[in-house]
Amino acid sequence: MAEAHRPGLVLRLHPEAFEPLVALAEWQQQLTAGGSEAPAAEAHFIGRVRGRSASGAALEALELEHYPGMTEAQIERIAATISRRHGLLALRVDHRVGRVLPGEAIVLVAVAADRRGPAQRGGQELLEALKHDAPFWKREWSDGVGRWVEGNTAY
Amino acid sequence: MIHVRLFAGLREQAGWGERSLAISAQSWPTTPASLWRQLGLGEAVPPQVRVAVNQAFAALDQPLQPGDEVAFLPPISGG
Repeated sequence: MAEAHRPGLVLRLHPEAFEPLVALAEWQQQLTAGGSEAPAAEAHFIGRVRGRSASGAALEALELEHYPGMTEAQIERIAATISRRHGLLALRVDHRVGRVLPGEAIVLVAVAADRRGPAQRGGQELLEALKHDAPFWKREWSDGVGRWVEGNTAY
Repeated sequence: MIHVRLFAGLREQAGWGERSLAISAQSWPTTPASLWRQLGLGEAVPPQVRVAVNQAFAALDQPLQPGDEVAFLPPISGG
């Protein structure tokens, strides 16, 4: 093998609502395609849009802007770095773009590893890196007024 | 020619999202920091604004090449 360790990232940016459990099931089927043994450890995170804005007002929708091309390239770079650091076997990232309603899934992060530690640490690190270093911008819509969100919610 | 892109709140403040800029021969090498001034976006790039050159994060003083795409990115809020 040219590279001893080169796990794949499956990345999907969704302009419409997606179902994270369907995405996860598809990913797990890919991991065991051709009779491969399922990874011993997986960590998953699903993030949904809350019904309140940062200021506490009822939220109508979140609008998600991204930088087509760079967003995908940056997630690939982040995933490659974290995958190497934790020895991950596979990664999947699904992220919404466009208008997202309260209760809808906005992000799915899933990683597979041979042990629970690398899976959980790698998954957490991937999610935090996505929030800080992948070019996405949220705008909260309340009462017909949009406000760009600067930075992330509390950890 | 340099292609410049602004996103989210920065785009709305400036009133434009994409612009191509001819750079005179004597102005090379130019940098993202000097483009910011040249485009009338302000004096210094605010510390919370990040820069990307050709769709990868870059330093404000990175020398640019003709044909580069430069983007100014307001604080990221993904995930």
